[in-house]
Amino acid sequence: MSAPALCAKALAGERLTKAEGVALLARASLLELGEAASALRFRHNPPERVTFHVDTNPNYTNICNVDCIFCAFYRHPGDEGAYTHTVDAMIASFQRAAASGVTTILLQGGVNPALPLEYYLELVSRTVAEVPGVTPHFFSTSEILGMARVAGLPVAGVLRRLWDAGLRTIPGGGAEILADRVKTKISHLKGTSADWLGVMREAHRIGYRTTATMMYGHLETDEEIIEHLESVRALQDETGGFTAFIPWSFKPGNTPLEKIIPRYASPVRYLQMIAVARIYLDNVPHIQASWFSEGKKTGQIALHFGADDFGGTLQEENVHAAANFVNRTSTAECIRLIQEAGFDAAQRTTLYDILRAYPRPAPVAAAAAVQ
Amino acid sequence: MHIRDRNLIPISEKIARGERLTAEDGMTLFTSPDLIAVGAMAAAVQRQKSGDAVYYVLNQKIEPTNVCVLTCRFCDFAAKKGDARAYEMSTEEIVARLTPAIREVHITGGMPPDWPWERYLEIVRAVRARVPGADIKAFTAVEIDFFHKKFRLSIEEVLRQLQAAGLQTMPGGGAEVFSERVRRRLFPQKIGARAWLEIHRTAHRLGIPTNSTLLYGHIETLAERVEHMVRLRALQDETGGFLTFIPLAFQSGATGIKPPDVFTPATDDLRTIAVSRLMLDNIPHIKAYWVMLTEEVASVALNFGADDIDGTVGGEKIAHDAGAVSPMALAEERLVRLITDAGKVPVERDAHYNPLRVRGEHVVGKIPYLNSVPFYTAFDEGDFRILPVVPRRMGILAGKGELDAGPFSLMDYLSREDSMDLLGWCIATRDQVKSVMLFARGGWRDLEGRRIGVTDDTATSVHLLRVLLEQKYGVHARLERLHQGVNAYDAFDAVLLIGDEALRRNKRGLDGFELVYDLAREWYEWQKLPFVFAVWAARKALPAHARAELAALLGKSLAACGSDFTGVAGAHGRRIGLTDDETQEYLAGFNYTLGEREREAIALFRRLALPQGRGAADAARRATEAG
Repeated sequence: MSAPALCAKALAGERLTKAEGVALLARASLLELGEAASALRFRHNPPERVTFHVDTNPNYTNICNVDCIFCAFYRHPGDEGAYTHTVDAMIASFQRAAASGVTTILLQGGVNPALPLEYYLELVSRTVAEVPGVTPHFFSTSEILGMARVAGLPVAGVLRRLWDAGLRTIPGGGAEILADRVKTKISHLKGTSADWLGVMREAHRIGYRTTATMMYGHLETDEEIIEHLESVRALQDETGGFTAFIPWSFKPGNTPLEKIIPRYASPVRYLQMIAVARIYLDNVPHIQASWFSEGKKTGQIALHFGADDFGGTLQEENVHAAANFVNRTSTAECIRLIQEAGFDAAQRTTLYDILRAYPRPAPVAAAAAVQ
Repeated sequence: MHIRDRNLIPISEKIARGERLTAEDGMTLFTSPDLIAVGAMAAAVQRQKSGDAVYYVLNQKIEPTNVCVLTCRFCDFAAKKGDARAYEMSTEEIVARLTPAIREVHITGGMPPDWPWERYLEIVRAVRARVPGADIKAFTAVEIDFFHKKFRLSIEEVLRQLQAAGLQTMPGGGAEVFSERVRRRLFPQKIGARAWLEIHRTAHRLGIPTNSTLLYGHIETLAERVEHMVRLRALQDETGGFLTFIPLAFQSGATGIKPPDVFTPATDDLRTIAVSRLMLDNIPHIKAYWVMLTEEVASVALNFGADDIDGTVGGEKIAHDAGAVSPMALAEERLVRLITDAGKVPVERDAHYNPLRVRGEHVVGKIPYLNSVPFYTAFDEGDFRILPVVPRRMGILAGKGELDAGPFSLMDYLSREDSMDLLGWCIATRDQVKSVMLFARGGWRDLEGRRIGVTDDTATSVHLLRVLLEQKYGVHARLERLHQGVNAYDAFDAVLLIGDEALRRNKRGLDGFELVYDLAREWYEWQKLPFVFAVWAARKALPAHARAELAALLGKSLAACGSDFTGVAGAHGRRIGLTDDETQEYLAGFNYTLGEREREAIALFRRLALPQGRGAADAARRATEAG
């Protein structure tokens, strides 16, 4: 099928097959993808509005036993710069973040086998009790698998304990590319695609809402990108637990993989990922673009390629920073970037409830009417 | 095409019909929420004009001094004499900075109070001598106006002297935005729109092609941007001398006009590129100037209507001083990657946009004239990429192995028969052609000893003219090659034009040239054979499966036209002023299949046009490349 025919099929509300997804990615021009994705975006999310949330991405430890070759963040125990923070220290930092307006705390490790399950449970329960106004969005699938190993519990058991402690949402990191050929090469200790999907399935069954992510731009093929989207779409059919899909490109700085992949993928590739995700994932409510992961300008453009959300303000971020990729914003700038791109802005919660609307000042916001 | 904003649909229909957009359309495009539809329309126009090519140039920028008599609010490059950061380079320092490999030197800078006129001419001459292989693009209209006033020379005299010293093209800077309101507030000391346009008009008349710019993202309104484009378009209608349009994103830096960390929104950058591609239907190229836009936006802009990314640049001080995010000089490979990332074919160019090197595979040439449109309708499918290029340049590229295939001018094919295979298609006439025309002041026999200006675009028509003159009419004339772009025809007794330009002139007439001869008709009446202007050929090294795929695409393209050409070529025809009936009649006059009579015609032309025996191919090659 030609690219226009594939786009027309998606616009007619029909689901693309895997083979069609691959053909779409290979054949469609950037703006063919953009047209279809943008139209579908306004069906999923009709308002000319882009949401964002005020969040922070701290880490409780950088000690990790998974040794992914795409990561510049982790340390082994005893390495220079290795750290594990106490629960007290984390809670204090969360309180400072909350006081500055943060509503979502996306907390991740390291997968540090020295930490008992109680450490994680305490982080959750004390956040709920002592840091009102924030939603804990804690622990990637790898950490949850690690907790299960350390505690000798099934994954479902760990998830149940965390739920009981007050956790309701889980970040979608650690998916990278859901194709085991790739996972074996870049993160052989991190578990298989089925492991990531399994933790997500269990979580959704319990009632958690989660995001799904994709890190592309390393060793994957077009077919594997579509395989990834297919896995997410199939699980979403089953559980309906995904709130959003978030792609970003691999950042090679300071990572072992840098020798093979010295650069991060182009902005055009990012726009293709956003658009193809919007077209293929007909059952995921939100596609998140980011001012952060590919740069503010590319982030603004992505809002026209199918994304309806601008991610978080990221008061703190350490993982990309370890790869020498640093980008900062403020709530005010985030709002301005959205409005300049031609949308009303709205601050949301972790679960996409609107907290506060920031409509564009004038009907024409895209242009430089700085009179 | 999926258009979300219904207000854009009439505009989209106009574009499909090849109609010109109004200022009101420009405002609709600027204010539509549907950025993607605006971009998609621009991308479609870009594809018609530039195929899959994106141009870059190995260039260097020389700014001889930053000392300037003007004080413009938006400029933090300029300094006053005696300032710590003021500098003035000697001619020796300037030439010492030049890299031999470059193809374009861009000279512009401050306007110091005390440099003599001769110093500017000396710089141009010295650069010319140091890098003879590079084109010199020098001095904005603001500087030209400064020379005119300071040295009491007419604009024309300033330009003539610079041209004689070696200047070939002019940059488009200093246009800013054609609004008196903005000029009074931001740069009251600079020349206004009228002076800028008059200087460019004069340059075009002298055969100096120029660029055009728009500085946006400061205090201008959208209506002022559109008005600016409309005025550039009007001058281009008159002169045809603009090569490219460059929207320049305003960088506030320390100017105080906007906060230093506030850049133009990426969406505004892309939209401005797209709207300019749509509004400026007569300017060949739109440049995404990476130094100002950032590499990330420039790369995306190559899908929003831009077909040029500027070049390696040398020392981009102006943008740097104002805090441009991009690094100063990207190596060529970095530019190539940026273009490839955008899904386009990187094509190295010279200052006139002649392609020098093609950095991609499966690239097929396209003659950018109406008569070739029917070949390319199926190329959205398949793996072949398209590079539009005039016939003579296509031949040169093929000679360097830079193209896989194309409809080569017959002379180019004859000179390289050994390395090429025919594909079975051609551009041949039945009896007349109407696009290879000799515009003459008198009859054939009056041309004895006279000067005939001949197109620079192809050698075949020139050889056909010579054969007709010498062997049909027994007349010997002086054939002088016209230069690319703008030409004054006054000095000639006849002018040979081809392609769309000939079609346009044939319809409207060419002042002072009362008689118009169709060379194909002249040939037909003489030999009773068709004339073959071009043949489709592929380089022998192209793998058989690729050749088969290409042949299939060409067959499919022609089959899709059938006998009705207005569907595929009507818009192109309307853009050059033909009615649908005229387009249909013109294209129906061609035969695209290489048959027995066409082969017979080729053989006959070869005997008449080329010396016999050994060395014929070499002679043909010399004739096409030098002649």
